[in-house]
Amino acid sequence: MLSRVADSLYWLGRYVERAENLARMVEVSRQEALESFNRRKQSDVWRAVIYATLVGDELKEEQEKALEADPAYYIALSPLNPTSIAACIASARENARAVRDQLSEEMWLELNAIHLFLSSEKAHDRYRNNPESLFRQIIRFSIIFQGLSQSTIRHDEGWQFSRLGRYVERADKTSRMLDTLTFSEDAPSSAELLAVLRSCSAFTAYRAQYRNDVSLRNVAAFLFFSPDFPRSIRFSFSRIDTALLKISGTRPGDFSNEAERLAGRALARVNFTPIDQLLENGLHEEIDAVQEQLNEIGQSIFEQYVLLPSEIRRAIRTEGLQSGRLQQQQQQKTK
Amino acid sequence: MFQDYQTDGFFDEMFPKEGGPAFPHYRQVEEVIGGFTREKFLEKRAQTESAFLEQGVTFTVYGENNQGTERIFPFDLIPRVIPADEWQVIEDGLTQRIIALNLFLNDIYHDAKIIKDGVIPEDVVKTAAHYSPLMEGFEVPRDIYMHICGSDLIRDDQGKYLVLEDNGRCPSGASYVLENREAMKRAFPKLYQSLGVRPVANYPSLLRKTLEHLSPRQTGVPVAVLLTPGIYNSAYFEHSFLARAMGIEIVEGRDLIASDGYVYMRTTSGLVQVDVIYRRIDDDFIDPLAFRKDSLLGVPGIMDAYLKGNVVLANAVGTGVADDKVTYAYVPDMIKYYLDQDPILENVPTYLAWREKDRQHILGNLKELVVKSANESGGYGMLMGPTSSKKEREEFAAKIKANPRDFVAQPVVSLSRHPTVCGEGIEGRHVDLRPYVLYGEDIEIIPGGLTRVALNKGSLVVNSSQGGGSKDTWVL
Repeated sequence: MLSRVADSLYWLGRYVERAENLARMVEVSRQEALESFNRRKQSDVWRAVIYATLVGDELKEEQEKALEADPAYYIALSPLNPTSIAACIASARENARAVRDQLSEEMWLELNAIHLFLSSEKAHDRYRNNPESLFRQIIRFSIIFQGLSQSTIRHDEGWQFSRLGRYVERADKTSRMLDTLTFSEDAPSSAELLAVLRSCSAFTAYRAQYRNDVSLRNVAAFLFFSPDFPRSIRFSFSRIDTALLKISGTRPGDFSNEAERLAGRALARVNFTPIDQLLENGLHEEIDAVQEQLNEIGQSIFEQYVLLPSEIRRAIRTEGLQSGRLQQQQQQKTK
Repeated sequence: MFQDYQTDGFFDEMFPKEGGPAFPHYRQVEEVIGGFTREKFLEKRAQTESAFLEQGVTFTVYGENNQGTERIFPFDLIPRVIPADEWQVIEDGLTQRIIALNLFLNDIYHDAKIIKDGVIPEDVVKTAAHYSPLMEGFEVPRDIYMHICGSDLIRDDQGKYLVLEDNGRCPSGASYVLENREAMKRAFPKLYQSLGVRPVANYPSLLRKTLEHLSPRQTGVPVAVLLTPGIYNSAYFEHSFLARAMGIEIVEGRDLIASDGYVYMRTTSGLVQVDVIYRRIDDDFIDPLAFRKDSLLGVPGIMDAYLKGNVVLANAVGTGVADDKVTYAYVPDMIKYYLDQDPILENVPTYLAWREKDRQHILGNLKELVVKSANESGGYGMLMGPTSSKKEREEFAAKIKANPRDFVAQPVVSLSRHPTVCGEGIEGRHVDLRPYVLYGEDIEIIPGGLTRVALNKGSLVVNSSQGGGSKDTWVL
């Protein structure tokens, strides 16, 4: 398959997953903030979710202000936020538009519909009148989209790339949520622990395993190591590993390129590290290591499948995107 | 719905006389659509429009700040109907025309007999913006230059079909023909079925066949790709649609590599050789080594591979010289010269500003003429004499004097009108017709084409960028 197509499918998977995770995190924080009467406490709640959701550059003053005024709105819809949920969906759709032949008609319709909705005034109205239903709708979209991906297209190479994107993103978000518990010197309260579980949609699954014994140790063990909870870091690494091996046709336990080697090693580490060891090393440090591994894996996937071998890479020009975009527009001006 | 319809003295596609019955081939349309209440009909239209939006059947309009807005191409639910005998004439005329245009291209890039015999002045050919010296002496595969052509037809006040222009570079719009048809089948299934409309759905497979016919490697399945400028191009929907419908890869310039005279696409499992490129990028941008150096869309070295015969471009490079608006004026002469036939479809009379006599006529009659710049398309760079301001006419007069080669003028042809749903009911709007001609092993013309409608009252400009919409075209 075309390298660019593989890349777009990977990012399509990532953006859809990211939108879902952001929506869940914001919704949980909103509920939690409602419980906190103390204004200071409220800003703590948001500080955590902002860390977990925002990526990249420092905020400009107007962004800072908008974020402070209404954090949930900022993360979800604010035009000032280039990484809002609406922006994630727009990016997902842009990638999808470039690879429509890889998607089923149903998948495209769902994605296009949520994009049209989020970029319309209706979404802003909904946020004002019934924010909960807005976030539920975004989560539901992602679930439907992934379900359609599961059941309406071939599980071929391209499918593996979008799965790869999904699980890299999921591991990233779960680890970031878990990391919010390490911000404070004090041990996290049980409300905070529950909020993290809910943000990972893990509350019910967790309770089935640990009953009502909610502790940092158990929450960390569950979100890090659960072999069968689909949002745990271990589960995500195992899916990343499988997808990579399927793409190259390498047998399990082996590797044929750097991405596979890194993914296999990361998986072995979460498979075989006991929780006590993890806590001893420091939860925050371990999470940092996970983030580092995800970055390396992402980079080596890119180098393996998207970039060219170095001898031809030199011939490729690297001018800015903007001028390329202008030329695209100018071709055969709407004949 | 049609009770108050007025033809206003124009040639009307549907009604020969105001207040009278429709043409026989429109009777059923009149009956079915006329039976709708206005509300019901508008409801149907809203459903169709939202279906287009949901499916992403859109084009992008770029404003001054470069912010693109995605819009649906306005679609009118009253179909244009063309009876079989009329269509036969169109088909014969277009076939004759594309053969002549290809012979012309072959000739001017080789012996230029038509110039030597004094039929067309050398200047006209060599100064055309899209004449490509690189193509001189090059043998294009199967002697075909223009594989895909979309000629714009209009009808005058007597209902006679005339060719307004030929689009022989990268004509667009075929995807809308197919999408419009799907929309009409959903909206009026019974009407569609009872009329026996000829299908258009096989266009993608004919196009693929046309492309594969050109492949330099005739063993195995040829690798054909569609080369798009990218997702920011206004016609991206069409590119993506056609590639999907043909089952071929849609590639951008950065997906391709030319190396040692061959073209490859970059895939996750290495480089794969490409045989045929259906390119939707203009000549200028296709190869920064051969043409515009600043092109980010093209593939460096692709021309080298093309001229070595290892990859085929469709359409060929340099076909623009044949759809130049000055060359256009000579097409009837070409048909006579190469085929020794009279043109089946006539041209609109055209004055060429570089001819002294014609220029004086143009400058003296700007208010009555349509002035077009020879190398622009999409309704840009045009002066509509009757509706122009004094200032606009003065500007054009100055431009014409400065660059006479770049301008042609035609009398205003009062394009035929077609009943069209407008704000307050059904009104007549001017239409044209763009059929699509494929030149491969055989010449294939899908029965139908894009009927474009100038939606603004009184307007003669049908281009989508300037308030145009479209209709489905039903050939019986």
